[in-house]
Amino acid sequence: MQPKRPIALLWLCVLVLVLGACGGDDEEQGGGGASATPAADVERFPASTTMGRIQAKKEITIGVKYDVPPFGFKNPSSNAIEGFDVDFGKAVAAKLGVKPRFVEAISDNRIPFIMDGTVDLVLSTMTINPERAEEIGFTDPYFIAKGRILQKKDGGITGVDSLAGKKVCTALGSTYEETLKEQAPDAKLTLVDTYSECLESIQNGSVDAVSTDDVILTGMIIQDDSLELVDGEELTTEPYGGGFKKGDREFGEFLNGVLDEYETGGAWAKAYEKWLGQYTGERQEPPTETLSEVLEAAA
Amino acid sequence: MEVLTDNLDDFASGLWVTTRLVGAAFLVAVVLGTLVAALRVSESRPLRTLGGLYVETFRNVPLLVLLFITFPGLRRGGVDINAWTAGIVALGLYTSAYVAEVLRSGVAAVSRGQREAGLSLGFGQVAVLRRIVLPQAFRTVIGPLGSITIAMIKNSAIVGASIVALDDVLKEARVVNSATFQTTEAFFWAAVCYLLLTLTATAAFRGLEARYAIRR
Repeated sequence: MQPKRPIALLWLCVLVLVLGACGGDDEEQGGGGASATPAADVERFPASTTMGRIQAKKEITIGVKYDVPPFGFKNPSSNAIEGFDVDFGKAVAAKLGVKPRFVEAISDNRIPFIMDGTVDLVLSTMTINPERAEEIGFTDPYFIAKGRILQKKDGGITGVDSLAGKKVCTALGSTYEETLKEQAPDAKLTLVDTYSECLESIQNGSVDAVSTDDVILTGMIIQDDSLELVDGEELTTEPYGGGFKKGDREFGEFLNGVLDEYETGGAWAKAYEKWLGQYTGERQEPPTETLSEVLEAAA
Repeated sequence: MEVLTDNLDDFASGLWVTTRLVGAAFLVAVVLGTLVAALRVSESRPLRTLGGLYVETFRNVPLLVLLFITFPGLRRGGVDINAWTAGIVALGLYTSAYVAEVLRSGVAAVSRGQREAGLSLGFGQVAVLRRIVLPQAFRTVIGPLGSITIAMIKNSAIVGASIVALDDVLKEARVVNSATFQTTEAFFWAAVCYLLLTLTATAAFRGLEARYAIRR
């Protein structure tokens, strides 16, 4: 009597076929780390410190982006988490002699992740600003990005002034939410969770522009060369800092020490060339500002 | 409390967006759901199969997936659909499958004698359904329809959180949260906004039930 059963069977068949096709997508966190085994020569920290606690559990949990090449992304062929942020995270783990475990931290959840202890450290293209510094601790800036606008080639946008009435995509919880409301109050904001959704939206034409850090936009142009950066002055400068639990001064000093060594030892320049320089043809020196200088400038 | 009073504009505009979204989606769901329920109980086997296919499709695809299909999918396919239409259509289609199932069960609860009596009095198939069976079926399904409506209001949060990215209650709460970092408060007030809508729906269905439901 019921025509339902054959349909259910049909759907089951479809499901089985689809599942078959989707198989073998095994999760591999971190991956490719040369620093997986604790080296004998690493400094041991007292158990009362965050560093000591991390050494005791033999693993540091680091929140990174999974969809923001070239800073943090999941390599589609190897499933490894890679990028500029990830390389610095591996350097931190190596200094502690522990294994890095990378988890996805999107713009909207990375600060809660730090506050509730889900992650020990966040390296996810996070701009240092005074509001965030109220909630979490920051390292010195490890990269300076610039705020730009991305459009389809010949999209007719000439600068932030011409965004009025245009649909502009950016990530919810990013600094651009505020920046755009101030600099382009008549633009229509589309706020999504991830920059890959912004890329999809500009590709399918549901938004006219994407605004965020130049390096993230460059990553989009690498994927789709029908897109271009709008010429003109940058909207903002965005100093990226590592985030950790507020008030953990020892951990902050430790991280700044790792960063100093990373920058002076040439590892920073190597990572820059690997993830950015070879695509943009540009060169950049490691940032020299300290956290307090950045916060003063922003205040 | 400041989280609410300082950001009243945001919450109010979110509530208005969600209200319009669920209002329009409800209309889509009821109209399509009724049509599909009619197919599901029709005499013709192919029509019944068609109705069944519709229900199984929209009931078994997660709403979030449906949103990705109707918005970026259609846009890439050359259909110039906007975020509003995509959100309303996806939420309406998804809910209509449940409405259809509930109505079908309501129709099944109307005794055969009613239909036979109608037919023997000279009513046609469609007229029997429209004038005799469906009115009685509606009375028995007011309660379940209310549940579906409440579920739909809550499901509407998925529309704003997806790539469709409407500025609904949840989205505005997240904007407030990202500006104030008052996570618990921001989402507490979002919950209150949803409660306002669901309690309104509950009251409306209670009223309908008091008026039309069959007392046994």
